Order: sequence, then C-alpha cells, then structure tokens
Amino acid sequence: MQPMFDNPPGLLLVFGNLLVFLLFAPLFDGIIRRVAARVQNRVGPPLLQSFYDLFKLLGKENVDSAGTAPYRLAPLVAFASILCVVAILPVAGRPTALTPYADAISLIYLLTLGGVAVLMGAFASRNIYALIGASREMTTMIMVEPILFMILLLGVLKTGSLDLTTVIYGTPAREYGWPGIVMLVVSLFALQAFVGRQPFDIAEAEQEIMGGPFMEYSGPNYALFKYYLMVKQMFYAYLPVAVFVPLLGARHVGFDLVIQLMLTALVFLLIGLLSATHPRFRIDQALKYFAGLFVVALFAIGGALFA
Amino acid sequence: MRKELEAALTAQLGDAVICVEKTDRRTVFVDVRREAIRAASRIIVAQGGRYMCSVGYDEIARDGSLGLVHTYSVDSEDRFVCLRTKAPADDPEVESITPDLPSAGWSEREYMDLLGFKFPNHPKPKKLIVCDDWPPGIYPMRKEVPHDLVPQGAEDVAYQLDEAPPGTKIVPIGPFHPSLHEPEHFAVYVDGETIKGCDYRGFMTHRGIEKLCQTQVSYNEIPFIAERICGICGSVHATAYSQAVEAAGGIRIPRRAEYIRTLMLEIERIHSNLLWLGVAGHLIGFDTVFMQAWRVREQLMWLAERLTGNRKTYGMILIGGVRRDITPEIADDIRAVVTKIEQELRVIHKAIEKDSSIHKRTKGVGTITKQEAIDWGLVGPVARARGVDIDARRDHPYAAYDEMKFDVPVLDDCDVWATLVIRVLEVYEAIRIIHQVLDRMPSGEYFVELKDDIPPLRHAITVVEAPRGESTHYVITGEDNRPERWRVRAPTYPNLQAVPLMLLDEQFGDFPIILGSIDPCFSCTDRVAVVDLRSGKASSLTKSELERMSRKGGL
Repeated sequence: MQPMFDNPPGLLLVFGNLLVFLLFAPLFDGIIRRVAARVQNRVGPPLLQSFYDLFKLLGKENVDSAGTAPYRLAPLVAFASILCVVAILPVAGRPTALTPYADAISLIYLLTLGGVAVLMGAFASRNIYALIGASREMTTMIMVEPILFMILLLGVLKTGSLDLTTVIYGTPAREYGWPGIVMLVVSLFALQAFVGRQPFDIAEAEQEIMGGPFMEYSGPNYALFKYYLMVKQMFYAYLPVAVFVPLLGARHVGFDLVIQLMLTALVFLLIGLLSATHPRFRIDQALKYFAGLFVVALFAIGGALFA
Repeated sequence: MRKELEAALTAQLGDAVICVEKTDRRTVFVDVRREAIRAASRIIVAQGGRYMCSVGYDEIARDGSLGLVHTYSVDSEDRFVCLRTKAPADDPEVESITPDLPSAGWSEREYMDLLGFKFPNHPKPKKLIVCDDWPPGIYPMRKEVPHDLVPQGAEDVAYQLDEAPPGTKIVPIGPFHPSLHEPEHFAVYVDGETIKGCDYRGFMTHRGIEKLCQTQVSYNEIPFIAERICGICGSVHATAYSQAVEAAGGIRIPRRAEYIRTLMLEIERIHSNLLWLGVAGHLIGFDTVFMQAWRVREQLMWLAERLTGNRKTYGMILIGGVRRDITPEIADDIRAVVTKIEQELRVIHKAIEKDSSIHKRTKGVGTITKQEAIDWGLVGPVARARGVDIDARRDHPYAAYDEMKFDVPVLDDCDVWATLVIRVLEVYEAIRIIHQVLDRMPSGEYFVELKDDIPPLRHAITVVEAPRGESTHYVITGEDNRPERWRVRAPTYPNLQAVPLMLLDEQFGDFPIILGSIDPCFSCTDRVAVVDLRSGKASSLTKSELERMSRKGGL
C-alpha cells in the first residue's frame, strides 16, 4: 500500500522510531509500576523510576562473573536486536528507510534473536538459577512465538504480501472479519506472556529463581537487558494497536503517532492491572494455557483461509 | 489414665519400669531403665500418646548421668506423659525412637550434638545444631562448658549433603534466598522441574538462648528473653515459659491476668495470620494479596503500640501475671480495631475464595495424607489442614481458654489451600475470643508477687497454641533462682521436619509456597547451642580476596 499522505524522509523515521521507543518504553514501564501500586494501596514510585533505575545501573561497575565472551556479548546482542526491530518497524503506518529491506519474517527473526541472546547469557553464566530460568524461557518462547507469528500471518493472508507495512497496516479493520476479532483477543490474552509479566513472569520468578536468566548480571550489562525488556514490552503492547486499530490517515505523522501512543498507554494500563491481580503460574500450568491459545489462533487462521 | 498406663507398662516391661507418678492434674511422669525406652514409648503411643519433643539434661554433677525425657500429649484426655530415662555420661547410649516416630529425629540429633548422647539405631545421625567445624568431644549443653566458650575453628569442614538421587540436579536454596526470611540451607534435588528430594541444613543463627537462661539470668528476666525467641509469636513463648514455671512452683495467678494473657495471645494470632497471608501471597507472586493483608494488619500493630508501647514484642507477660492492665477505654479501642479488621479481612477473604488463579497455585500443592501428618507429628494449621483435629487451646486449656467459646476449623483437603483457609478462619475465631475476653473479664489484680522460692528440681511441661501450632516448653527448676533446664520446642520444629515429604514429587515452582505454608520460623527452631565462628575467619581475608571469591566462586 502506498501511503497517500505526506511522508517524512525514511531515514528520519528510523531515528524517530528509536527515539520514541527508547523514551517511552521506560515511561510506560513506570505506568505498570504505578498501576500495580495503586491496586495495592501504595503510592508507588515516580513515573520516571524506570529511567532512574537504568541510569543507576549504567553508572555501576560492570562485573564479568563468567569471564566468557558470550556472557559479555549477550546483553549487547539482545539490545541491538530489539533496536533493529524498532528501526524496521513502520510506526504509525510510515515505512522507515530500512523497512523495504525487511519483511514480516525478518521481524520475527530479530525478535527471536533477542530471546536467544537472553538464553545465551543465561547459559554462559553457569548458574543453576539462570539455567532453570533459561529452560523456562525457552519453553515459553517455543509456545509463544508461533502465536506472534500467527498474528502477523493473518495480515499476510489478507494482503498476500510479506512487506511489513502491508502486513501490519494493509488490511482495513472490517476486512479482518471474525478471525480478526478472535486474533485480537488472542493477542491480548498472550500479552502478559509476550511481556513476561504476571501470571507469566515464570522465567524470572523472583521468589523461586531470583531473576532467572539475569541472575548473574549487574551494572551496565544488566541495564542493557532491562532496557531490552522494556523496549520489547513496548513493542508487544504496540503490536495489537498497530495491527487491529485503523489509522486515522491524518496528513501529519505526528497525529497518528500520538493516538497510537495513547492507545499503547492504555494497553500498558491493562498489563499493570493484569499483573497486579494474578499470582504467577507454574510452567506446566502456563504451557496448558499457551496450548489453548495456540489452538484458538490456529482456528482463526483457518477461518481466514477458508472463509 | 495413669493406672492403665502403669498396668500396661509393668505388664510388658516388668522391672524396667522404675516409677509412674502423677505430678499434677495433667502430667504423668514415667521413669524407665534405658533398655526399655523404645518399648515404653511404643506403649504410650499405643495408648493415644502423640509425640511432642524430647528434652535432654545434664545430671553429671549429681549422679554422673545424662537425663533424657520424651514427651507425649494425649489430646483426647488432656494429659501429658513424660517418659524419663538416664544414661551414664561415660556410656551415653540409648535406643533411638526415631524409627517408630520420625519426628523424634531432630530432638535426638540435638542431644547427640549438645549433650553427647548416642543413638546407635538412629537413621540419620548427622550433625544438626553445632556448626560443622565444632570440635568433637565438647558438648555445649553440659554444665562444665561455659556459655561463652568460643573454640578454635577448623578449615575446610563442610556439611556433607545427602546423596542426590540419580539423574537429578542440586538447586541450592539459601542461606540467603528471597523465599527464606532467615538463613537456612536447603539442597533441593530436581529432575527438570520436579523435586525428587531435599536435604536441610539449618541452625545457622544459634543464639544460645537456652544455655544463656540456664546460666546467666534469673526466673523473672526470662519471659522477656523468651519473647525474643521469635519476632512473631513472642507472647506465646513468654506465656508458655511462665506457665511452666508457675506449674513447677505451684503458683496460681489472678484470673484477670489469665484473661489478659488470652487477649494478648489472640491479638498475636490475628497479627501472625495476617502477616502469613501476605507472605503466602508474595510467595506465589501475588503481591496485591501481600500488600492488602499487611495494610489490614498495620492497624493491629498501631493498636498494640497503644496497648503495650510496642508494635510487636509486647512485653506483657510476667511470671505471676501480666505487666499492664486493660482499662475500659483501651477495651473499647480493641473492640473497634478488631471489628474493622474483621470487615476488611472478609473482603480479602471473598476475593481470594473466588480467585481461580490462587486455587491453581495452592490446591493439590504440598499434599501429604492425614496419616503422614500424624506420623510426622505435624501441629497447628498445617495439621488441621490435613484433618488432624488438635488445638492446644481446646485440648489442654490454659489461661482463660476454658471459658471461651470458639471453633477449631479442620479441613481435609491436605494441601496449601486448606492451610490458607484455616488461617483466615482462625482470625475470625480469634476476634470472637477477644470480644468474649473483653465482655467477661473479671476485675481484680493482674499480677501476684512470688512469695516463696520456687523449689528446685521440679519438672513441668506446658503447651501454648501459637498461631503456627503448638509450642511446648519444658522446665526443670533450679537452685540459683533460675531454671536448671529450659527446653523450647516451637511449632516449626516438627513441621519443618515434614517439609521434605511435602516437597516430594512437587514442582520446583511450588517450593516457596510449600515451605512457606508451614510458616517456618527458623529463629524459633535455632534457639539452642552456642556461637558461630565463621565470621571471625572471614575478617582475615582482604577486601579484594573476598571480592574475587564472591565473584568467581559459586557453581
């Protein structure tokens, strides 16, 4: 689909996207913390607390507890991969300069690469808690990534293209039909798993495995992982907004962007509420839940194919 | 009871029974020769005795022997049976009763470490209390050993964990871990995410309280030390100790004081149960339950501060009564606060009751059968959640509980969920009791001075139902205005011993809540023995060495 409205230069959009995600991800994380605090009758930290956390971690000494290259590289790879995702993402319907070089498949590749980097760091740290966390993370990834894939696949089927802008924005809302509604529900039900929040914060499970894969990390390395998680969280909160909420098609990109960010903030409110009102599931219980979602998503894809 | 027991014992053991005597309304002491101890224990259990704990004591100065008492409670008849025996200090071998009564395992290991007893048929004769580099041949509970002895530490001595089942990995939990609030070590053997076994090494924070109180302070100071055994159930320990001394000395305290003790114990129960409810929420990753339960609990702490001057560790219990009176104004204050707590707890209770995700994490988790719970001597809500209907307040009424009307909730779901429900229901019962106490409290004195000296070498045992279960205190009175022996057995002591069984074949993700479900109080359990030596060694390392160790060490 060719945008019919003014298009800012694509290179500017690459940096614009990065700026938006890097600035808003910690802020939105702050929303979750505030919402949870209010549910719990607490005042909660300032909205910018996640920024403060990052700054503090960045200012600390980097401890290389494993002493191996994979351990040191893992946070960089994770952070870089999520930045690449943001760089190719056609935010508010406008392809960036890099979007044409990527497609829906490479988006999933890059997202998976981030997860693999987390696993790499966990295995490299040779800590039993990290290993348990990594094995939980891996199980979750295997179950949840196909659901992400199917959400995008719906757009692929409707438009017959793998181009990112087309896949995400190419289908007018009413053409999705009932499979679209089912998939929207699936994406909201999978949201907590995508962002690793309660009831699916199983891989980090503070009370059991004390942060799991990130156990050995501290200082700037840990800050990179945290930043990676926050940006990833924002990506997943933004995804249902981008795919299922139609753009206004405003002449100015800023207008669409503001609306989408506000909707994303609402998704974060939902994440906050859900995580404050659920205990953590066990991995075996989570697997059953994911399997159910998987079947429903498959059903929606089937519907889109044969309807 | 005494007659039947005596008949059964003499019929089967003959001359091995030295004497059977009844010292007060509740307590029967049975003295046997040491060869007959296991047989006598079986007879007592067959007559309805539930094993509570064992007490070892030093009689070397008197007749060159070590004393050992196994204590039992006959809950249906409101009786305690204390089975006493002696062994010469130079040949301290006694047959172990652990093969029959698994919960005796720790008590016997305790006296191997502390008094030098030997139990040849003990199934797990490992160190329990003293640290791993404690020199052999020094038994800290013997009178010849000073309370402040600091022996030379040794290098490279470590606790040998039990062998891991084949195909399992060891996950070390503790000494510092977010789901433990005190330093203890669990080695959990996991196969994937399934727990296949577990070994426990605890007793890392011994403060030597029993030894201290037997050598350094006097009767009247001990209630305040007893209160500091545990930060949560302080009044329980102070009351139990005071009752034991009062029983041994034949002191009757004013009725009003007994009412005030009941009041303090129930306030403490509400506090503890709300605290635990919050912790349980936290352990399954549900911090909203945690925050809300603690918000409700906070007003009780403010009340306690108005009542006693302290938010916790009330310092109300003395031998001979209590320290402060309850005025009509403060009584109204208490009524208002507990009524508000009841309302607010009902809201939380309703929310929890319907929350299917909490059910998912607690139902069918930590299951052991009623028979296993009885075999392992579980006490308190953990036992009542498994259908074992015991409650010291009803079975062995103390303070003013004989005049109180309350229900003892018992469920037979046998899991963590049932424990949770029982602890919530017990808050309502506690509030019921508080209202009754305030309505019926007789006027009069609330403290009585001790007139005569407490006669020495009297044995007495009492129990108090702590929020976590039954606390047993055993006192032998002494000559220097202090107890000759004072043994504390907190509810965690039996309950923790059954945790490996509760963990077996459960998911690793459930470890925190299963351990948490017994509301372990390690400080109660770790009250004995002497000093830790490790810290002294660490200081000889340079900062950089320590840093390197902490970073490169581990797995």
